Amino acid sequence: MQLWRRKSLWLALSASWLLILLGVFPLLRVAVPTKPQPRAPLGWPQWLDTELLQGFSQPEDLLEDDTQPSPVPHKGSCDWGTCFDTSKCRGSDFKVFVYPAAGPISEMHCRLLASLEGSRYHTSSPTEACLLLLLSSNNHARGCSMTVPLEWNGGRNHLLLHLHPAPCPWTVQLGQAIVAEANPPVNTFRPGFDVALPLLPDNHPFRGGAPGQLQRHSPHPRVALLALAQERGGWHIAGTNSSACPWAGHCEQDPGSKQTQPGTAIPNATFCLIPGRHPGALHFLQALQAGCIPVLLSPEWELPFSEVIDWTKAAIIADERLPLQVLAALQEMPPSKVLALRQQTQFLWDAYFSSVEKVIYTTLEIIQDRILGASAHPSQLWNSPPGALLALPTFSTNPSDFPFYHLQQGSHLVGRFSALIWVGALSQPPLKLIQAVAGSQYCAQVLILWSSERPPPLKWPETAVPLTVIDGHGKVSARFFPYSAISTDAVLSLDAHSSLSTSEVDFAFVVWQSFPERMVGFLTWSHFWDEARGDWGYTAEKANEFSMVHTSAAFYHRYYHTLFTHSLPKALRTLADETPTCVDVLMNFLVAAVTKLPPIKVPCRKQQQEARPLVAPGAAKPKLAPLAGRDCISQVAAGFGHMPLVSSRLRLDPVLFKDPVSVLRKKYRHLEKG
Amino acid sequence: MVTCAPKQEREEEAVCVIMCASVKYNIRGPALIPRMKTKHRIYYITLFSIVLLGLIATGMFQFWPHSIESSSDWNVEKRSIRDVPVVHLPADSPVPERGDLSCRMHTCFDVYRCGFNPKNKIKVYIYALKKYVDDLGVPVGNTISREYNELLTAISDSDYYTDDISRACLFVPSIDVLNQNTLRIKETAQALAQLSRWDRGTNHLLFNMLPGGPPDYNTALDVPRDRALLAGGGFSTWTYRQGYDVSIPVYSPLSAEVNLPEKGPGLRQYFLLSSQMGLHAEYREDLEALQAKHGNSVLVLDKCTNLSEGVVSIRKRCHKHQVFDYPQVLQEATFCVVLRGARLGQAVLSDVLRAGCVPVIIADSYVLPFSEVLDWKRASVMVPEDKMSEVYSILQSTPQRQIEEMQRQARWFWEAYFQSIKAIALATLQIINDRIYPYAAISYEDWNDPPAVKWSSVSNPLFLPLIPPQSQGFTAIVLTYDRVESLFRVITEVSKVPSLSKLLVVWNNQNKNPPEESLWPKIRVPLKVVRTAENKLSNRFFPYDEIETEAVLAIDDDIIMLTSDELQFGYEVWREFPDRLVGYPGRLHLWDHEMSKWKYESEWTNEVSMVLTGAAFYHKYFNYLYTYKMPGDIKNWVDAHMNCEDIAMNFLVANITGKAVIKVTPRKKFKCPECTAIDGLSLDQTHMVERGREAALFHRL
Repeated sequence: MQLWRRKSLWLALSASWLLILLGVFPLLRVAVPTKPQPRAPLGWPQWLDTELLQGFSQPEDLLEDDTQPSPVPHKGSCDWGTCFDTSKCRGSDFKVFVYPAAGPISEMHCRLLASLEGSRYHTSSPTEACLLLLLSSNNHARGCSMTVPLEWNGGRNHLLLHLHPAPCPWTVQLGQAIVAEANPPVNTFRPGFDVALPLLPDNHPFRGGAPGQLQRHSPHPRVALLALAQERGGWHIAGTNSSACPWAGHCEQDPGSKQTQPGTAIPNATFCLIPGRHPGALHFLQALQAGCIPVLLSPEWELPFSEVIDWTKAAIIADERLPLQVLAALQEMPPSKVLALRQQTQFLWDAYFSSVEKVIYTTLEIIQDRILGASAHPSQLWNSPPGALLALPTFSTNPSDFPFYHLQQGSHLVGRFSALIWVGALSQPPLKLIQAVAGSQYCAQVLILWSSERPPPLKWPETAVPLTVIDGHGKVSARFFPYSAISTDAVLSLDAHSSLSTSEVDFAFVVWQSFPERMVGFLTWSHFWDEARGDWGYTAEKANEFSMVHTSAAFYHRYYHTLFTHSLPKALRTLADETPTCVDVLMNFLVAAVTKLPPIKVPCRKQQQEARPLVAPGAAKPKLAPLAGRDCISQVAAGFGHMPLVSSRLRLDPVLFKDPVSVLRKKYRHLEKG
Repeated sequence: MVTCAPKQEREEEAVCVIMCASVKYNIRGPALIPRMKTKHRIYYITLFSIVLLGLIATGMFQFWPHSIESSSDWNVEKRSIRDVPVVHLPADSPVPERGDLSCRMHTCFDVYRCGFNPKNKIKVYIYALKKYVDDLGVPVGNTISREYNELLTAISDSDYYTDDISRACLFVPSIDVLNQNTLRIKETAQALAQLSRWDRGTNHLLFNMLPGGPPDYNTALDVPRDRALLAGGGFSTWTYRQGYDVSIPVYSPLSAEVNLPEKGPGLRQYFLLSSQMGLHAEYREDLEALQAKHGNSVLVLDKCTNLSEGVVSIRKRCHKHQVFDYPQVLQEATFCVVLRGARLGQAVLSDVLRAGCVPVIIADSYVLPFSEVLDWKRASVMVPEDKMSEVYSILQSTPQRQIEEMQRQARWFWEAYFQSIKAIALATLQIINDRIYPYAAISYEDWNDPPAVKWSSVSNPLFLPLIPPQSQGFTAIVLTYDRVESLFRVITEVSKVPSLSKLLVVWNNQNKNPPEESLWPKIRVPLKVVRTAENKLSNRFFPYDEIETEAVLAIDDDIIMLTSDELQFGYEVWREFPDRLVGYPGRLHLWDHEMSKWKYESEWTNEVSMVLTGAAFYHKYFNYLYTYKMPGDIKNWVDAHMNCEDIAMNFLVANITGKAVIKVTPRKKFKCPECTAIDGLSLDQTHMVERGREAALFHRL
């Protein structure tokens, strides 16, 4: 009985188990919707008949026969395709004609004419010019009136350059002319056709210009977060605890959180808030120069050179209607982004804005890029150092051909070098040097630049690498002509008097591969400011510093040949031809202006250092050189508008150089001999 | 059983209490009432089993609801399109004004609706689908097309979507205006105007791919839309509101229909190909003249008229009597012409990009798709219409390397932004999102660099060539545990360096207090002791607020051999290479504790790739990177093994800058007192490889 009862009980128990297991799940299903759980958003429904839906376009839509070959040109408006005649601009020859000023010539106009005349763009005939430049004067008495020139032709292929903001509307019927204007209002600006210029202060330097003021990559931890541009000019530095309320106008009642510095010309803060209305525009360049990241609040004007400059990398364009949101975003910005923005402001300032000349050449370069089309500067060349003015698209459009972009491209510099030996007027064929250089494992070819009046010898020493003789035409600047025979990226510039060993060449080349944008040389000069003469001077004396290397024995990238020949003003190249010692100085200036870094010095044997003459050999009058050199450096500095040379205090040696280990273990053991 | 059944989550706790109590009771049961009757015992067993069941059921709750949530068919309604509600539009219902050409984000867009958002993502609402009919019951247009349904599904599945209309920042009507030919303009506008949040179209986004209609083919949607943003295919510069509208591609239905395997870059059979059918006669003449001039390298295709069915097939193209498969034929050409047709935007652009053919765009004033963010110069050639006859010579001057680069870029653009309606929709929303949250915007490189480039490129965080002024000085950080005597010697020595501006002692010993202030050596610069919470080697690289200079000298408390001249010179070298680690050779200065003598590095090689951080200068930004941006496992490994922090730092710097270290070797006897050594930059610049190597290295050590 008990057994039966127990059995039945167990049965009931297991049955209830089963029931529960079966019952709980459906009940749970019922229970779930009543739960106060966060509801998943109700999405777009999945239609049962999705398969039956028709496509948005039928084949006929794509087949519609064109009845109208071209659209009706928009009345009174222009774009690049319709209003510019590119047929006058053949190939890479972009020629600009500048109209002479009609009335009394302004100083700016005069200097601009002079500057363009020395540049590669210049032409004196309006008929062969691709672009006709009309500089509008800033004569307020006459307003913006302008005499229409003869070749006006409805403004076709004309560029109206207006460096200063025009308070009055254009009186000339603009027609098809491109307008380059400071701070053009967004509404009238024609993207892709007009060019937006920065608003320059009246005393902006014409050439050279002040370098950026950023002295550190990352902001000082105690520096203020925000500086506010004030209506009357100057900056208003918000305190470090700017969480209070940084907005002008709202914060006057709270003077404790910040110190007011009226009239501060240069903002010392991480971010610079600039209102979007017109008066803010001058502040924009100030912030850029100071390395203070501009935060533009709904700008009503087009940002300068917005066609090519990626402003998102250097500034923040925010909506003035959400001030607190902007503030929170600035406070939370990661250090890596602040670091990048700050550096970009400085690069842009130095590359495009620091002088009037740069602004004008940038404008021309933009128009040239439009004409070049596919072979224009890639965006990367515009937006990373050294900038598009110094990276010529006529050299290459592939960034990895330039010495500057290897890291960003993720590419390595491999390959070998070409030795370019210049044989000057009185020199003998440098047979020993050829042997030494050709013996290097990295040497790809030897080029002899024969500049002597005597004919070159018919027989040259046997070398493992090809040897070519080029005619140098007796000009010193021919040393840096971009010969098509140079097949490698690296050039070892030598002259007949140089004496180098294979070890030295090998090591210097390896060093150059790490610094492809710089010059790597053996013998150095340093420049100094001569207080007595009030001028620059330079010396070859052994000092603790150096800023130039002799190009009679130096590695550099072949791109500098192109830059030397095509971008230097004509006057400077003529100077180099007249004073041969100047070539060295000029090349060093050029490379320093591009890299903003000193050259690199590598070791060479002692006796050579002593045997070297102080000036570039082959110079016609070596005795006069020091004095001529002095004139040279100050003339070149004047030509550049500033002193680009940077001093260095170090020399790069091989790792085991002079270490107390067996000489057999050293890679460059011959370096230490003598 | 019954009490258990209607259990809900909020009862869970109560159940638990009962359970716990009864379990206790059960355990005690037999001991307290040993001679209980069987009936009672059964009762207890039943009770116990009920409790057990309760436990099981509670456990189920943990898992069951999740599976309900994740199953999409639980709350996505299954309906037919025919069942959508019908809305009658009275003939006199309001029509929005025509669009305002001067609209910009800061004038026409109501940014207040987007407000502060920690994720920096806009919220997009989609109106429910309705069928609009006029007074007579005639529908105003197609209810919805397949593509627009896909587009709305893509938005709905994305992070942008919200179903809360009051929190939305952007509104997408479900009224399909992709193709203007399929809709009635005035009535569609009326339908838009009666949307619940229309408000002159503010913050509304319309998608249109085929704008205009015969005979004049406007380049923007003709439907009056007031302030609504338009994502349109085929904008011209006259109708496009820069920075407000978004130019989108015209989707090619062939993208989904045809399977076209990728073809590598390089010169192909035909140099120039034109595959469009509806070309204007004038253009066709120009193209055929090109073909006549350049022979087989140019191929101009047209629709096939002599096919047996008599139907024009979208998948076939003909040249004379030769029949070609489309779009496969595009893969046989290096350059493909994309000419304007009746409309500026052409679906053929998508097919051309997909085939890895470089588009030659001949359409004056056309605003290219996503031109706000995409750099079309890298993927296409633009030729003015009046230069069409010169197209061949223009293209021929392009170097081959550039052609291959463009082909790769074209294919990448298609994969990323053209290949599906979803890609188009998300790119459009991303562009608008970046305008609203500009400080969190995606960069040019993110938009334009193909993945292969993104992987291999190195962006040096300190890219600006800048030599910091000497006056800034450096901060020395001494990591110490308890070697006070040696520490004081280091401090005294370091304090003699002229450029030192601050000395920071990181006291890594939690069990022992640092010596009293009076015992520390008196030095001319501020000295600060930082006590750490844990004895970790990574503390040395923490970005302390006290570090005000950019240059940091990390120095061990046993490096007493370096003279102040040597340190000063090290600082000078760092100034010229602020993005590198500048260190001293380890072999000269390593103090070995067990042996109580100077340990020399046994490896004498010709290459250096690392410097010991026992004494090294570097930029303080690397401290930030080391602490916050280092792959977590490496930092943990270092902390756990109390080793290799210097190797980790070396790898970090090399990884991020792609540059080698610099070793400073000062020597007093040699004539040149200031020399540095550099050679054999053996560090790989491709950082992805390095990650793996670093891990391997760590395991070996």
